Amino acid sequence: MGLTSMLHRLAARHAHVLLVETPGHWLTRVAAEHHLLDRGWRLAQSPADADVLAVCGTPGVELATVADRLWQQMPGPRVRIGIESPEQVRHALDIAEADLRDITRQQTDSRVRRGGRGDQTRPDGHPTGGHGPHGDHAKGGDEHAGHAGHAGVAHGDMDMAPAGIPLANRGEDRDGLELDVLHVRLGPVLAYWPAGLVLRCTLSGDVIVDAQASLTDPSHRTPEHDSASRSGRLFAARRCDNAASLLALAGAHDAASGARQVRDILLDPDGAADAPARLARLTRTVRRSWLLRWSLRRLGSLSRSDLVNRDLPDTLEGDAHDRLLGMLDRASRAVAEESSHRATGQPTVPVEAVAELVRGWDLATARLIVASLDLDAAAPAREVSRV
Amino acid sequence: MSDPSVTVVPAFWALGAAGLLGLLASVAAIVDGLLSARAAGAAAGTGWSRPAGEVARLMWQRRRATVAADTLLWRTGGAGLLVMALMIVTVVPLGAWTLFDLDVGVVWFNAMDVLAWAFVWLTGWGANSAHALVGGYRFLAYGLAYELPLMFALVAPAVAASSLNVGTIAAAQQGLWFVTWMPLAFLVFCMGVLAIAMWGPFSAAVAPDVAGGVSAELSGVDRLLFLGGRYALLAAGAAFAVPMFLGGGAGPLLPAWLWVLVKTLALLAALVWLRRRLPVVRPDLFMEIGWVVLLPAVLLQDLLVAGIALARS
Repeated sequence: MGLTSMLHRLAARHAHVLLVETPGHWLTRVAAEHHLLDRGWRLAQSPADADVLAVCGTPGVELATVADRLWQQMPGPRVRIGIESPEQVRHALDIAEADLRDITRQQTDSRVRRGGRGDQTRPDGHPTGGHGPHGDHAKGGDEHAGHAGHAGVAHGDMDMAPAGIPLANRGEDRDGLELDVLHVRLGPVLAYWPAGLVLRCTLSGDVIVDAQASLTDPSHRTPEHDSASRSGRLFAARRCDNAASLLALAGAHDAASGARQVRDILLDPDGAADAPARLARLTRTVRRSWLLRWSLRRLGSLSRSDLVNRDLPDTLEGDAHDRLLGMLDRASRAVAEESSHRATGQPTVPVEAVAELVRGWDLATARLIVASLDLDAAAPAREVSRV
Repeated sequence: MSDPSVTVVPAFWALGAAGLLGLLASVAAIVDGLLSARAAGAAAGTGWSRPAGEVARLMWQRRRATVAADTLLWRTGGAGLLVMALMIVTVVPLGAWTLFDLDVGVVWFNAMDVLAWAFVWLTGWGANSAHALVGGYRFLAYGLAYELPLMFALVAPAVAASSLNVGTIAAAQQGLWFVTWMPLAFLVFCMGVLAIAMWGPFSAAVAPDVAGGVSAELSGVDRLLFLGGRYALLAAGAAFAVPMFLGGGAGPLLPAWLWVLVKTLALLAALVWLRRRLPVVRPDLFMEIGWVVLLPAVLLQDLLVAGIALARS
């Protein structure tokens, strides 16, 4: 079986990892991302694409349920790891690779799954009907975990329900066409999405006609892991990470990789001293790309009076492109000053405002707008606990 | 048939053509692996072995089914892209040899590329998942914008060579490659190839913002076929551009078949490289560009080519 084991080893060296970030564990997630890309692994975009489920931090009840669902949706061979702190990342990834290669372990896992418990008659049955693959399953009865997508489609019209999924209701979209209305959750686990944020969207076609925003486990809040050491570099790294998300969503892969690398250098205590120069180069590249400007301008424009009305910080003025450049500028300034008085000043965005800003936009645009808000994972939490 | 410079080879050579296409697709995957490993700062070794690693991984991975999926259509769509790419290369002459010397080879290519509409949409539809469905919609929106410019871009070389036979078109450029005097048609053709393969600026249908869109629910061998199909389409599109715009096998020193391969590889590498440089064009923005800018521009190009062809005859 030399060939088989060689192939398994080859496969395990190219694993795809689905990261679940518990709010407050940004540093752990970033370290995991850095190390897994470093060893040539890739980030999975959906559970179907994933070999490894990596949960960063200790999730609350709601997020843990979502992680369980994602785990059930993974095709297998599969490995689940929990990473508590940035220091554990390397070790956890080594374990994941070893477990992926362990053929007997994977065979046992597959047998146990097939044996199944009551509701798992289908070995690979996943809750996908009408809703997305990510974390949008906590609605409705959790006792149906892993079963048909009861949560996906509008309830009410239960006359026809193929495979237990009621058909979608109809509604008028913004152009007055009558389209199927789908209820889709965005988050809490989605690539380039702020940790802990959930948007319950009502879609007609791919246009968000209505949305409600919430946070997972609002009562289960671990204090920000890194709050003790809020330095200018950390603040800048956070801005770079958010810029990388926005760039990746806009499809500018090289620029996104560049932003990610600057972020990792900033977080590394003995990181190279050329971080400011690299950041400046990245900013120049982004500023010069007219295609990027063309694709991001006029998205989610906010005037000064909009900001005041919605109680939003004034760093969000302008469109998505302005905000992208703003993130990079703030990062540069924080690195240059190396002081903490500015760094603590990342203002909060009320979570309801996020929902308001995406209403009426299509999914792609909505994702770009959310990413352009430069959210700190913990920021909406404070806001909500105040309400 | 119409052109004596092209010989039709026996049908069993189709296996060779398929192997060659597989090779080109692998090269494309390796180039992409190297470029992304370099950008991510990972070890270069992982870039080289990435295609092999992905194949091993996906062969090993279990196939997944979703609840109330339209399995037949879903699987058909996923595997269809690869079939499309294979059908396209049957009419591309490799130097002096071709598998299928069709009088209307250009129309054949067009017929094949339209199949992408069905296959991609079915892959998005079949999984019974909202994100995949959104991906399918996005591809159709691109299709509405790129298909007509692409068709008229294919018209230009055909008019210049007064033939729809791919071999004849290649032979008509012995003096001057068509790309030199119909650059716009060439660019629009390349754009069409990128769009069919859902590549780079046209990857909104498989974008991370909808969890991989059309491919969100694919796993195991289904994902392998879909991914392989995308690379193969990119390779087949690049191969088809060679007889259409890049002079076919024309070139000094090397034999014609080698020139075809060299040109195909060069164009393929350029298309792969573009992915990392250009941001995604949102379908709603591209709709405007396709109809307001590209279509009139390509029509003007056709008019110009037709004028020159008339004057020369």
